[in-house]
Amino acid sequence: MKNVIEVKHLTKSYKSNKAVDDLSFEVKEGEILGLLGPNGSGKTTTMNCILALLKFDEGKIKIFGEEMAPDAYETKAKIGVVFQEVAVFDELTVYGNIEYFCGLYIEDKTTRAQYVEDALKLVGLEENRNQYPKQLSGGLLRRLNIACGIAHKPKLIFLDEPTVAVDPQSRNNILEGIKKLRDDGATIIYTTHYMEEVEILCDRVIILDHGKIIASGTNDELKALAKIEEKVTVEVAELSPKQLGGFEKIKNVAEVSYENGVLKVVYGKGKNNLAEMIEYLKANRISYSRIFAERPTLNDVFLELTGKELRD
Amino acid sequence: MFWHNFKFAFKTLIKNRELIFWTLAFPFILALLFNLAFARLHDYDVFEAFDIAIVNDESYQNAIGIKSAYSALSEGDEKIFNIKYASREDADKMLENEEIEGYVYIADGQIHVAVKTNGTNQTVLATVSEQISQSVVMVEDIVATDIQRSGGQEINIPEIAAKAMKIVSEAEPNVKDESRVMNIVSIEFFTLVAMACMQGAMISSEMMDRSLPNITNRGKRVSIAPTRKSVIVGSNLLAGYLLLFVSVTLLILFTRFVLGIEYGSNIALMLLVAVVGSLTSTMMGMFLSVFLKAKSGAKQVIVLVVTMVGCLFAGMFGGMKNYFDEALPFVNKISPVGLITDGFYSLYYYDDISRYVVNIVSLLVIAAIFFALSVRSLRRNRYDSV
Repeated sequence: MKNVIEVKHLTKSYKSNKAVDDLSFEVKEGEILGLLGPNGSGKTTTMNCILALLKFDEGKIKIFGEEMAPDAYETKAKIGVVFQEVAVFDELTVYGNIEYFCGLYIEDKTTRAQYVEDALKLVGLEENRNQYPKQLSGGLLRRLNIACGIAHKPKLIFLDEPTVAVDPQSRNNILEGIKKLRDDGATIIYTTHYMEEVEILCDRVIILDHGKIIASGTNDELKALAKIEEKVTVEVAELSPKQLGGFEKIKNVAEVSYENGVLKVVYGKGKNNLAEMIEYLKANRISYSRIFAERPTLNDVFLELTGKELRD
Repeated sequence: MFWHNFKFAFKTLIKNRELIFWTLAFPFILALLFNLAFARLHDYDVFEAFDIAIVNDESYQNAIGIKSAYSALSEGDEKIFNIKYASREDADKMLENEEIEGYVYIADGQIHVAVKTNGTNQTVLATVSEQISQSVVMVEDIVATDIQRSGGQEINIPEIAAKAMKIVSEAEPNVKDESRVMNIVSIEFFTLVAMACMQGAMISSEMMDRSLPNITNRGKRVSIAPTRKSVIVGSNLLAGYLLLFVSVTLLILFTRFVLGIEYGSNIALMLLVAVVGSLTSTMMGMFLSVFLKAKSGAKQVIVLVVTMVGCLFAGMFGGMKNYFDEALPFVNKISPVGLITDGFYSLYYYDDISRYVVNIVSLLVIAAIFFALSVRSLRRNRYDSV
């Protein structure tokens, strides 16, 4: 697959603070690349540098093989961006807003009208077409924001935290829409600090912290970095120090914690850990109310690599 | 793409209620309020002469033309002033004790007016004094020119005197006819139109804000589109300018034909002030938007304050134009509000359009400076922060 974006040694500082620090990565055609990191990790700054909105100190950026510049109009015509902040006109209806922004790319009125209809359908706003932004809920407004960014059917789409402060129904709708865009052939850069979304959507993930790439790869590749096979959580009303010490001696257990009646046992490797835990509890006559097992998350990866939670 | 953006820019502008109120509706409301407030002035059948002092020193005695003009205005049934002659110190004391509305003194061959408070009588004194000053200057010019032309031959004194008398007699109605109170009212309306023009900077500032990625999110969205910045900025500003020009023109026509405010007889020149004034205002808004990274509300407040201060200096709120022209002469020469007001003022008061032309050219120069500085900044392609 061709590289749609090539970023080499990108560095951007705000005074003495390095927002992006020697960043290099590529985005392959047709993939959804997740840029994951906590607030202030440099995701949006990276995106704005790629889009030639921001000056940067060093580095090279190519999009579709061409060096990106503010006057690279042919390249810009193939790009769609959904910014984190809602950017629409309160004075225009839903239809009017989409038509206006689409019109900056598509001159032919018939084609534009069809594209606007397609965008309305994609984000599920057909019935809201004549409403004004102030009449929309937060979720619907986010959907409008997305429609304005992608109505012209771009080949490359940047989505900057499009689901912030969105209700579950709208979030599902947005995520489904993004998958459809990818299925239709678009390459997508998806920045977020919601690891669940990255796990659902992204083919490949880059984890950023303090403007640097701390890990990158597929979900499975990244999870392998966490050195965790499985986490078993048990709700136990009471545990004596002796009983607690017993868990640490179980085979493959890497870490044990007990707080507020919740016992967490982390397995470094091994299979059938949950079944073995149930056997252990039964054998030692420890009563429990609930027990479940989880696979490691990207947050565990982040924790392993940085020593802090993704949302800290 | 230009007309696509223009169409939507215009559409969003006319639906922006807050902006429309401040820039379009507010001046009309003020015009109606002014009309109500000044209606009483129209009803004055008799204008009562008021007390002034003249500093009777050597300079005044030597200024024969000025002396005779004030003398003429303090005699007869239609007199304007009750004149007390005094020394400068005594005139100051009388002014301090409010025994007189103001006093006049001559220095460097120019008439100077001293007033303590701001009011109709003070403005009449200042207006009349300026007209006397203008007439004297014109007479002196003609005399000097004629003497020069005579080239050492015999000077035709009767002819020069006749010309001078003609100028004085033509100037006389302005200070003596029944419209003298109305003249002050006219200045209020001239400043009102100037205010309407300059409030238009709010429109262009808003139109620029939406084009700039470092100011608004919509600016970011527009900036990543494959459309040249000049096309976006140009079409946005054109939409704002047209709306402003139409609104100012309607205000002028409303005040002229509905409220009966006199602007002079040349409608084309009157509307040219609207054309140029709106342009200057549009460029000022552009400049503000480019150089001031602030929310649009803050910019609107700045425009409002700049405009209202300009209005005060230009003669709104009690007609202090002449006072400020004397005290701070440079302000109304660089303030767009002052220049627009003076553009109308000179059209109304003078047949000669040279003063009007100076005002129009000054407005164009200010617009060009705002434009050049803004474009210079806009030419940068990427921003330090967005």
